[in-house]
Amino acid sequence: MRFDTIIIGGGLSGLACGIRLQRGGARCAILSTGQSALHFSSGSFDLLNHLPDGRAVEHPAQAVGELPEGHPYTLLGTEFARYAREARELLVQCGVAVRGDLDKNRLHLTPMGTLKSSWLTLSDFRTFDSPEELRGKQVRIVNFSGFLDFNTAFVAEALESYGAECRLESLSLPEVDRLRVNPTEMRAVNIARVLDRPDLFDRFVAALGAYAAEADLVVVPAVFGLDSTRYAERLARELPSVALVPTMPPSVAGIRTQQQLRRTFEQLGGVFMAGDTVVRTQIVNNRVERIHTANHAEVPLQAANFVLASGSFFSRGLVADMTRVREPLFELDVRHDAERAAWYDPRFFHRQNYLAYGVAVDERFRALKEGRALENLYAVGSVLSGFNPIHEGCGAGVALLTALRAADQMK
Amino acid sequence: MDLQEQNISENNFEQCIKCTVCTVYCPVVPINPAYPGPKQAGPDGERLRLKTGYFFDEALKYCLNCKRCEVACPSNVRIGDIIQLARIRYGKSRPKLRDRLLANTDFVGSLATTFAPITNATLGLAPVKAVMDGVLKIDRRRTFPSYAGQTFEQWFRRHEASRQDRYAGHVSFFHGCYINYNYPDLGKDLVHVMNALGYGVHLLDREKCCGVALIANGMSDQARRQARINMESIRRSVKELDRPVIAASSTCTFTMRDEYPHVLGVDNADVRDRIDLATRFIYKLVDSGAVRLCFRDDVSLRVAYHIPCHMERLGWGFYSISLLRMIPSLQLTVLPSQCCGIAGTYGFKKENYATSQGIGAPLFEAIEKAGVEYVVTDCETCKWQIEMSTSRKVQHPISVLARMLDLERTAELNNAKR
Amino acid sequence: MEENRQREYDVIIIGGGATGVGTARDCALRGLRVLLLERFDYASGATGRNHGLLHSGARYAVTDRESAAECIRENMILRKIARHCVEPTDGLFITLPEDDLNYQATFVKACREAGIDAEIIDPQLARRMEPSVNPDIIGAVKVPDGAVDPFRLTMANALDARAHGARILTYHEVLDLIREQGRVIGVRVLDRQTGERHEYYAPVTVNAGGIWGHGIARMAGITINMFPAKGSLLIFGHRVNHIVLNRCRKPANADILVPGDTISLIGTTSSHVNFDEVDDMRVTPDEVDLLLTEGCKLAPSLASTRILRAYAGVRPLVASDDDPSGRNISRGIVLLDHETRDGVPGLITITGGKLMTYRLMAEWATDLVCRKLGVEKRCETRELPLPGSRDAGPQASGARTRKSAIQRHGEQASHIASANSGDNSLVCECEDVSVGEVNYALEELNVTDLVDLRRRTRVGMGTCQGELCACRAAGLLARAHHCAREAKRDLATFLNERWKGVYPVAWGDTLRENEFTQWIYAGVCDMHLTEEETL
Repeated sequence: MRFDTIIIGGGLSGLACGIRLQRGGARCAILSTGQSALHFSSGSFDLLNHLPDGRAVEHPAQAVGELPEGHPYTLLGTEFARYAREARELLVQCGVAVRGDLDKNRLHLTPMGTLKSSWLTLSDFRTFDSPEELRGKQVRIVNFSGFLDFNTAFVAEALESYGAECRLESLSLPEVDRLRVNPTEMRAVNIARVLDRPDLFDRFVAALGAYAAEADLVVVPAVFGLDSTRYAERLARELPSVALVPTMPPSVAGIRTQQQLRRTFEQLGGVFMAGDTVVRTQIVNNRVERIHTANHAEVPLQAANFVLASGSFFSRGLVADMTRVREPLFELDVRHDAERAAWYDPRFFHRQNYLAYGVAVDERFRALKEGRALENLYAVGSVLSGFNPIHEGCGAGVALLTALRAADQMK
Repeated sequence: MDLQEQNISENNFEQCIKCTVCTVYCPVVPINPAYPGPKQAGPDGERLRLKTGYFFDEALKYCLNCKRCEVACPSNVRIGDIIQLARIRYGKSRPKLRDRLLANTDFVGSLATTFAPITNATLGLAPVKAVMDGVLKIDRRRTFPSYAGQTFEQWFRRHEASRQDRYAGHVSFFHGCYINYNYPDLGKDLVHVMNALGYGVHLLDREKCCGVALIANGMSDQARRQARINMESIRRSVKELDRPVIAASSTCTFTMRDEYPHVLGVDNADVRDRIDLATRFIYKLVDSGAVRLCFRDDVSLRVAYHIPCHMERLGWGFYSISLLRMIPSLQLTVLPSQCCGIAGTYGFKKENYATSQGIGAPLFEAIEKAGVEYVVTDCETCKWQIEMSTSRKVQHPISVLARMLDLERTAELNNAKR
Repeated sequence: MEENRQREYDVIIIGGGATGVGTARDCALRGLRVLLLERFDYASGATGRNHGLLHSGARYAVTDRESAAECIRENMILRKIARHCVEPTDGLFITLPEDDLNYQATFVKACREAGIDAEIIDPQLARRMEPSVNPDIIGAVKVPDGAVDPFRLTMANALDARAHGARILTYHEVLDLIREQGRVIGVRVLDRQTGERHEYYAPVTVNAGGIWGHGIARMAGITINMFPAKGSLLIFGHRVNHIVLNRCRKPANADILVPGDTISLIGTTSSHVNFDEVDDMRVTPDEVDLLLTEGCKLAPSLASTRILRAYAGVRPLVASDDDPSGRNISRGIVLLDHETRDGVPGLITITGGKLMTYRLMAEWATDLVCRKLGVEKRCETRELPLPGSRDAGPQASGARTRKSAIQRHGEQASHIASANSGDNSLVCECEDVSVGEVNYALEELNVTDLVDLRRRTRVGMGTCQGELCACRAAGLLARAHHCAREAKRDLATFLNERWKGVYPVAWGDTLRENEFTQWIYAGVCDMHLTEEETL
């Protein structure tokens, strides 16, 4: 099997890279070991929320200049803003409607009801300029009875701290209730499978309408629109006071986004190989020659270029054992602290150093092995070193921008 | 120190990090809430069952064994295998007569073939269906595939066996129960196509049903016995005769490659890579330049390819699709990968009928909308289900090839004159 | 006056570990008016921080015959009275090629003399009985070891104590002993939740504070020569072994592997710590390495088994010499009557011992209390089953109660709502804990926060260490306590507490799990803890 480019990893970064390359006329294959982290997405994409020292960022394009060397954004240099705009464009072209732009981070609601800063937010969700927008508002917070992954009281507590007046409401539809027969499967996605039926969605909208009539804001969990944004669009049209809040995983809107991106990639002629794992790689003369996977066994996969978009620990792009952190497919150079004790902070919510570990690259995002850049292997997204996606709030941005940059290097 | 370097125990469920992705892709859960779902039935349940078998839940039988959870899992947990193994290890309910009948596809097949006209007529009769429905709990809305009067093996021995040695290459053909008893024409197509490519086709010394239905119906001992017989034949073919083994059915292929070692504990490591699916075998030959294809220019066809669940798990949809794409006058739509709901014998059981059709509904809708002449797929039970549930007929890719290839010219290109 | 009478008891017991709660139960059964004060939650000290091994006594047979005999007697009693807390798994004492096989004979002889049924079995048979055992074993002895759940055991005692009129106040810290003419007549207490201070009075106060009992005695100017010995353990992700595995040699580090509920535990290390460290025990990387290396000798598959967490407890040993290893100090029970020992009437201390002998310790302490109060009722705890171990429970009645709940609560599970699907929804998917069970614990089992809830139900003790369940449980806590703010803070504190035990072993899938948990709570949910809440 031969392709122009083989991308290892089918998450946000791998898909963005693949879509860019397919659009440019290349023939790509994406290999994906299982589904990606988009399945747990909050529905927002972070570009840069905090500097490493903890200072909050309002204007990412300005703050990016203050990032220390080694952060993937610093490798983009003056192109940062262009790539950020093109990344947004790419999402929109795939049918992923978003709010927000590069100029200023905006706020969205978290599952805890707090407002969090972000670059882009899926259009299902509402964004805010300031918590002041909630002051004095009459809010109804609605949940399906028995749905444990969305907590109305938690949301209310936060909204009240912003000055809103909240009342908690419980909603029950027999078709949704049926899910409760199963002790574990009343999950956001399964509710969405029920609500994404026209007749049921009508009843859902009607039920919400009663709350909308007496409140400024009706907060509901994001449990519909698995295959399409038309449900959220309809709500926005008919009941503009309804605001969706992301649930605990799995994330309906995140899964839909993943599927939209994959569909776009495949419609452009890309080959998406799901559920496959790279088991062997071959490097000859400083070039990746071929890779072997579990499914294709004796049939090698060959390409002019390879992209490593294999993610961080979660998706095993990085693997930690008792003594070190490795990149398991090519044994690339990984930046990490030598002593295990330095990998962690004993306080859960403090900056965890291990989150910033990853593969070292040259200025063209070519991966380093024993200090030397491999000629045709690019590393993108969260497998990269030098950024802390959670404490800097920059995971999605790094995934998208580095993917596009790497794609451009292959032209 | 090698301590903790491979954090993968024999109990592969430990790699589960409770991300819930599997639950998103289970086709059963949204339709049948009595099924605990892949996470609970698989890794979560296994951890409890390790404490005591008291935690085993008979509702695990609702698992289709489609393995879509495994394809979705970012942690490589063999969720489907865990569930099947738990049923084998802890399941107490003995298979009913109905299940034994459905599972013994080759035994029942050989009886039925002998009396094919009677069987076909009888299986179609309303009173017989009522008995099957009422007594055996085989849903009356199901249509059994009809049984051929002559098995594939009988045909092959009579007409083809003697002329296969003349070819340069050789393969053994694991035809499976379906081709043998119900649809010998597909086997014939395969022989003709392979011959045109310069390959002689041979039967295995002994072939038993791959056992997939036995596993699904809780008859693992019998499945294991049959697996051992098959592996013995496959080993002889591969190691002594240097003949790779090909099958037309994605499910038989998957079962022999993956379920044998993972579920039945029958080792196949020495020959696993040489058990191949027919379409993949041909793709590899074409891709490497070893054979050439010449297609007819007087026929055209609009088809939609459906990726069977086990094909998705094998990751081999690529090969069948690529092969079909080589046909210039074929217009191909690839249907979104989703379960048809039949899962072998599962959908035949009365208690599963509603679940089965509910699972397949989105696929059926997509097929009706696709505006194609045929649906193409590599799995025989998907074929039954789609034909029972939509207005379209279903073809195997090999039959499509047989129809679209100019077999004469192809044979000439490959120096394979009959 | 009403107020004062409420504050007067026959006996005040300090310490909510197994010994304290067991003493409260025994005293209550003998008709005393009992007050038990615990600084944090039940079983939050050494009771909940050990192996959970139902000792047969074999481990002590050679070195400490008396302890061994006590163990086997109590072992047999617990199997009867605490059936739902005990798993009679049996134990194997294995001899490896590096061990002296001659020790086996000494060991078996000592066991038999202590009344322990020890049977030499063929290594081949041992390998069949316990497939995880090191295949290189050259000898094996089977003994009646088992597993005991300390949280369940303590709670069952508390339930029965309360049923017999005892008052139990958790999160109440004793600030001082009230003395009158040298005699201890009561205690000054801080309610840690409200910040209020109270005084309670009783003619006898029992110091059952474990290692913290050292400080309690100090309040009366008494020195108990205690020896705080830290023991660290590792919890593996699932049940690796089904039979307790021990080394057949003199007791040493990391030589016991216990299957406890859904997991297996290896321990322990032993090292001296200072009294000022006992409130915040952390497991060091060296200890982790030692536990793993030694553990793999018992069961080689531990080398590739996921580790969920590491934790450490402090043994309340009473030092008799200056041996720094802490191993040769008696594990025997120490009952101190401070009236005769130190001239301080009204105070007694019960310490030493181990989880296994908590009942006997309670019996001794209660006997002394009764003597002092002139009460003659005899001890019944040897025969009276604990709540949860009384009858067949809801299983027999055909209720829909989940199997896991019946295993955890015995017949008390009949109090768990299971009538509708809402009650049966799972909060914790790893440990199979339903909404009904959580609500039962919140209503009936004296739960203040998620950590307490974990001790009652196993919420958050499974593979994900709270990633899925913590938020759901916090939601139920918010509803039960009518305070979402508290519950959210508690959720963050709980995650922080879980991480404390996880980071010492955070590599492989355990690190992956934590990265995921970080994404969800620090990322998607954007949660924080302030500096002081993080303590």
